[in-house]
This record gives sequence, structure tokens and C-alpha cells, in this order.
Amino acid sequence: MTAHVRPSILASRSMRQDWTVLTRKHGSERSLRTVGHSRPPGTSRPASDHNATATTMLRVATSPHSARLLTSRAHRCRFRYSTEALEQPPPAGGHLPSVANSSILRTSRDSALRAPGLKFADDEPNSLAGRETRRMNLYQAVRDAMSIALAKDDTAVVFGEDVAFGGVFRCTMGLAEEFGRERVFNTPLSEQGIAGFGIGLAAMGQTAIAEIQFADYIYPAFDQLVNEAAKFRYRSGGQFNAGGLTVRTPTMSVGHGGLYHSQSPEGYFMGAAGLKIVIPRSPIQAKGLLLASIRDPNPIIFMEPKILYRSSVEHVPTSDYTLPLSILEPVLPQTNSDITVLSWGTPVYTCETAAHMLAGPPEGLEGIVPKSVRGAKVEVLDLRTVLPWDIEGVLERVGKSGRLVVVHEAGVTGGVGAEIAATVQRELFLKLKAPVRRVGSWDTPSGLNFEKFILPDAVRVLDAIIETLTF
Amino acid sequence: MFRPLTRSLPRRLLSARRYIFVSTPEIPTERHGHLPSSHSLITPTLSFFNSVTGGGTQIPTYRVLDGAGNIIEGAEVPELDRDLARRIYENMVLLPTMDNLLYNLQRQGKISFYVSAYGEEATIIGTAAGLAPDDENAAQYRELGVILYRGWGLKATMNQCFGNYEDAATKGKQMPIHWGSPEYHFHTISSPLATQIPQAAGVAYALQRDPERRGRNCAAVYFGDGAASEGDFHAGMLFASTLPSPTLFIARNNGFAISTPASEQYYGDGIAARGPGYGMDTIRVDGNDVLAVLAATREARRRCIESGRGVLLEAMTYRVGHHSTSDDSFAYRPRQEVEDRKRIDNPVARFRLFLHARGWWSDEEELALKERLKEEVLTEFRKAEQLKRHELKELFTDVYAGELPYNLKEQRKELGRLLRKYGDAWEPWREELKKYKDGGKSVMDIEDK
Repeated sequence: MTAHVRPSILASRSMRQDWTVLTRKHGSERSLRTVGHSRPPGTSRPASDHNATATTMLRVATSPHSARLLTSRAHRCRFRYSTEALEQPPPAGGHLPSVANSSILRTSRDSALRAPGLKFADDEPNSLAGRETRRMNLYQAVRDAMSIALAKDDTAVVFGEDVAFGGVFRCTMGLAEEFGRERVFNTPLSEQGIAGFGIGLAAMGQTAIAEIQFADYIYPAFDQLVNEAAKFRYRSGGQFNAGGLTVRTPTMSVGHGGLYHSQSPEGYFMGAAGLKIVIPRSPIQAKGLLLASIRDPNPIIFMEPKILYRSSVEHVPTSDYTLPLSILEPVLPQTNSDITVLSWGTPVYTCETAAHMLAGPPEGLEGIVPKSVRGAKVEVLDLRTVLPWDIEGVLERVGKSGRLVVVHEAGVTGGVGAEIAATVQRELFLKLKAPVRRVGSWDTPSGLNFEKFILPDAVRVLDAIIETLTF
Repeated sequence: MFRPLTRSLPRRLLSARRYIFVSTPEIPTERHGHLPSSHSLITPTLSFFNSVTGGGTQIPTYRVLDGAGNIIEGAEVPELDRDLARRIYENMVLLPTMDNLLYNLQRQGKISFYVSAYGEEATIIGTAAGLAPDDENAAQYRELGVILYRGWGLKATMNQCFGNYEDAATKGKQMPIHWGSPEYHFHTISSPLATQIPQAAGVAYALQRDPERRGRNCAAVYFGDGAASEGDFHAGMLFASTLPSPTLFIARNNGFAISTPASEQYYGDGIAARGPGYGMDTIRVDGNDVLAVLAATREARRRCIESGRGVLLEAMTYRVGHHSTSDDSFAYRPRQEVEDRKRIDNPVARFRLFLHARGWWSDEEELALKERLKEEVLTEFRKAEQLKRHELKELFTDVYAGELPYNLKEQRKELGRLLRKYGDAWEPWREELKKYKDGGKSVMDIEDK
């Protein structure tokens, strides 16, 4: 039941593909290096543009009156960008914001330290003076979180298939050397064994950080996670618990993962009361949410969008901090928004792209996107915790906008979107101005050659936004 | 730490191990050398092997007492004084006493379910006596005797079976027989078979990492011959042999998994034959001979802790009772077979004969014990039966640690609303609510805010 295609191949291949990797030199200067065919390595361009977008978004959030003007200015900037880009081979994500240049990512020390909800573990939670940040991609942030967890908690151990040499996605690089093989070790190739073993450690009050190599291979552990870990506390009347267990697993599509290196199985766990499911969208999020997950007194499945391991880069505070679970974060906040777009993990960026496409349709789509909706204020939310999800947060936001589009990579039928849509229609029946729209993969397996047309592409999100706005 | 054990063993020991592993009579010579990075010798002979012993025989069964309670030739009685012997025996007798009453209570509909341990008294009490009282224990469900031997008590047992408000083990959330107690190092039982096996390996790894308990404790895990067919058995054995996890695997091979005889459960030589495949020290023991079980458990435990790895003990026994109260075993096995086994190979009678021969037990004491145990069991049953259930709000507790999530808060509120509306008017609910300590008030009182 386990990967016949060993993922080290995949990991390196995904690196060589057209994912853009950002490297930052110092201060505000920023270079964009595209690994692969899409852009010659080392090609750099100023990043003032990106910062402008970020600033714009911030202002949009705080100043409703100037929002429209600023948004259009942001788009002018982007178009200048794209004209410039036309002289080069086209960038990977087209001319729109993608993971490589997303305004969602916090690429300065100051913005990193001011990430909402961020809580430092030491005694001076509010003091930002002297705090350091370091540029990290998502796998480095995950590694950093585990390093802190291991350093601060002697009972913590990290284990799974191939974690000792650093992991097939590099998330455990150097941890075995730093903390010893007793604390960071390989297990036999058995997912049910990994989950069961972790539950046993947790039942003894220790901290178990297990890795399932791909979320696609979590099913052999389904029984241990759903029947055992989730119900451990309840069934023993609170006498025993598996709260010390955190299962990390790479999830979501990677462009060429086919059926078994692409899945988003979070929906299968929606009925597993007692478990928590957490999915970060970026390095800052990954570190803060993972540390919070490791320390939460409940068993948690922490799903890391594998396509973001290298492609998402942020400044990440180097010290110990957490981000709250079961609280969503508006990543593109709006006051008086016209529509709410809710997602988690990788598609958060797709939603951001779609929002930009709506305001300033790229070439070819100009005739298709009605002018009447281009000025709509699109609010993008990152759910972050899928179980138990932030119902209050969603209801509050959708209660204001009256329109909701839920976007996830998993298939639509039985997906998390179904749960959210049902709750929203029940609670907000009179406030809804349009049906809740779900955008996900089709209800097919993730056929290798068909991924572009299976996964929720930005244009599909755009279409759903338009349809919902014009309903 | 993770290097295979064989690499560090002297050659003499290795050849001794080889005798255990290989059933072919011809042991290849060194003439052709061996495989790189392995001790596997090259042989020009095309031969296969099966199971773990040669000549078509099975793995032997270790025994100390014969059916009449006499010490068999060549056997040594494990270290045992009068007090320990009597404690073991009294606990063995307690099991059928408890089983008789609780089985009948289920038949009368007073409890919903029960699983007896008839025929397995020696396996259960013998292993319990061979473990340290603070060895961690992960059981399947037929091991009530282990937690009773540790002193959990009849009162707690009855409370759990009735799920009354004094049941701390499950707060009435699990079916009867799903006991557990951190105080007695007995992890709460769950119904899914074999899930406890890899968990036990994790528990053992935790023991190994705990400076207070390293080298002092092991994790004992019980399971039946049927559960050993689950993938989790494989995972648990594999993890405990590969990672330093002092786990004592105790297989109760009682010949049946509900209706499925062992012959339809596996084709190899029982469960014991699998141990060597995992590189695990293994023993098969007569599960109806409490002294053999005791001696084997003590030695298995010693090896487990000393090597820091898993050890497998297969106890051969017979499930005299039905699988559970939901099963009529005469639908798939002849009544006479069961009666014969009870008469010819009774673990309690066998040990009683041994005690008599030593002068450690008398017929008068036997009568008195049976009277006393029956009285105690009945007293605790009557008390437990009277008590109501936990407060209804417990339905929602312990799903998560910390604050109740939004959906559960809403659902609790919703149940409260429904109970206020229908709790009195709808007869099935009215009757049911009377069984709770609070009559359901703890949920009904939650108003919309």
C-alpha cells in the first residue's frame, strides 16, 4: 500500500520543473530565479512591484474609500510587469500573482513579525525589538519547528519512513545528527505501524511527531487514526489520550504526481471527531501551526502542501512561536466585501490569482469577464484548520458578503466544501445572495496527463466568482 | 543501535541460531563463501524450507505440570512460595466466578454484553503473575484477570460493566469488558482487533526513553490467534524487533476466532513460527499450565528488558466458553468437544492438584474460597446495579481536550432544546432519562445564549 515510486525522484523532479524559487539578497532587493526552462537561472528583476502590491492590499484593507483606486493601481503595476516579462520566456504562472510573487507571502522582517495571531513562546509576547527572522521555504520552516520542538521537549521524537537521512522532502534535514538517532529515526515501511507506534508513545505522555511520506499513503493508518487516536480520550473517560501525537504528511498536487502523489484526503477525516486537521499555506504558517499542533493536547494530522515546500518563501521568525488552531485568517481581507472565497493550502494562491484576474482580466479573458464585476471586492480566507473548522469566522465573514465560493483540491463530492456549504446555508439562509459554490477537483482520481483539467485552475475559480457575483 | 543483532554475534552463536531457523538437514559449508553484507552462506543445493523446525515436527510446547498436576520429568518448578501460589490460584478461581455471574446478568438483560475467559485462566493469570505490577499492559478483551490480579477490584469491574456514574474507566462510553486504568498500567481496551499491538511497541519505546523506567519495565501486549492475522500484528512485531522497544507479545492461541478454527486462520505452525521471521526470541507454552506460563513469562520479560526488543510467547489453550454473549459456539463445534476439554485439560483443576500435593491448599479452603468470592461478586454486582449513569453532559466530554468546538457546543444545545421539548412527552426518552444521575438536566439546562 505504499509508494512504489520512491519520492526522492519526485522531490528532485519537482525542483527541476517550472517552480519558481525566490532568492532574496538583502533588504528590499529581490531576485527571482526560475529553475528550469521557463526562465534563465539568475535572471533578476526588482521586487518593488511585489511590495507595492502587498502595501496596496494592506491599504485596501484599512481604507475602504480608496480601495478601488489602489486596486487598479496595483494592476497597472502588474501589467507593466508582464510587458517586461514578455521579452523573456513567459514566467511559470503566467502574468499573474503565483506562489512566486504572491502578496500573501510576508517577505520582510517587519511583516513576518506582524503576522496576525503570532504568539511568541517567551515572556515578552508583544515585544518585536531584537526579534530575528530568516528567509525560509516551507520545508525549512517545518524543519525549524521540529528542531525547536525537539530542543524544548526531551520526550519528543520524530520518526517515519526515511526521516533519518533528512526525509524525501528534506523536512528533517540534520535533525538526526543534531538530536541523535534515538530521537529521530527511520521506521519499517508500514503506515499502520507508524500511526500505532505514535499512539503508543503519546499514550505514555510523550510527544510523537510521525511522518507519513505522502498523504496518499495515510489510508493504511486510517483505522489507527480514526478508531484509535481520535477516540482514545473519549473511550477511556479521559484517563488515557493520544494528544501527544502529530502526524505530518505532504499533501495536494505537485503537477505530475498522478494518482498517488497528489491527493488531498482531509475530507475523509471530517467525521473523525477527536482528531484535528491542520493545513498551512506558507512557511510562517507552517512553523507556527506545526508548533501549535505538536503542543496541542489532541492528536493532529498536519498536512503540508508539497508543491509549496520549495516554492513558497517567507521571512520566518527564528524564535519559538505558535499560531492559533481552528481560527481562519483573511489573507486578502476586505471591508464590505462582495464575495468571500475560502480555501486552504495550495489553492489559496489560486484564489489570489483569480481575484486579480477578476479585477484586471489578462489578455484573452477581457471579453469574457464582465466589466460590471471587475470592481467587486473579493475577500480571500485561509481556513488553516479543517477540523474542527472555524465556523464562527466563516459565518461572520460570509454574513457580511452574502456570497461564498469554497475552493479545495479534493474532489467535490463528500469534500470539506460540502460540510462548509451545508453549515453556511443553514446558518445564513436569509443573508445569502447566491448559492454557495464549490470548486474542487472533478470526482475522478488524479489522472496524470489530465491534472491541468482536474485541479481547480485559477480560471475555474474566476468563473465561479463571476457566476456567484452575477447570480 | 539499529544494526541487526546477527552482525555482532560470534559465529558459534550464529550457527546455533541457524539450527533454529533452517529446517533443511544439510547446513551448507563455507566452501562457496557467503553473500556480501550478509551471513547467508552460498549453497549449490536446491532446497526449500518451511516453518522453523525440521522433519515435519512443530515447535515444541513448554510444560511444567502434567494434566494431573505432577511435575513432568526434566521440568523445573519456577520460584514460587505458598503465598504467591495461593494468590495465583485464588485469582484463577475468581475468573469463572465472575464469568458465571456476569454471563447470566447479560442473559437477563442487566448488562448489554460480556466476554468470558473460561479455559484461559492459566494463560491470563500466569502471565499476569510473571509481569511486574507496573509493566504497561495493552490487552485485547479476554484479559480481565490481568487487571484483577493487579488489584483493580470487583467494584470497578462491575461499575464498568454497568457503565454507572462510578465507572471511571470509560464513563459508560464503551461496551462492557473494555476496562482500563492508568493506575494499574492497563491501557483502556478497544474493540478493533490488534490495534493495540503496534501501540504496545510505541509504549515500549517510550519506556525505553524514560530514564526512570528504562531497563525496569516492558510493555506486555495480549491478542488472540485470530487478531494475529491483522496487519497490525505484522506492524507491531516488525516495529518491536526493529526499533528498541521491549515489548512482550502474548498470543492466546485458543483455537478459535469466533467461529473460525485456527486451521482456517493460518497454514503455518501457529503464531510462534512467525517470531523467528522477525528475528524475535520466541517460545510456545502450554497455556493451561500456569507454572509453565509463569516461568515462560518471567524469562520472556527478562529477555525483553535485557535486549530492549520484542519477545513472542504463544500460549496454547482452548476457548471453553462461547466467543461472547452474542455467540452460540455449538453452532460450529460439537458440545462434546468442549465438555471433553473441560474435563481432560482444566487449567484450574490442574493447578489445584499441584497445590494439594504441596499441602498449600485443602478442600475446606476450596469451599470457603468459592463461597467468599461468590459473595463478594454478588455484593459488588448489587451495588453497581443500583447506581445511575453519569450525567448526560458526559456524552460530549473528552471528544477533544480543551474547549468544546463550535459544532459540539451547538449540538449539545440542540439536544438540550429537544430534551426540553420532547423529554417528557416522548415516552422512550422519558424512560431513558431516568437512568442518568442528573435525569438529563446537565444538557437540558444549557440555554441558547
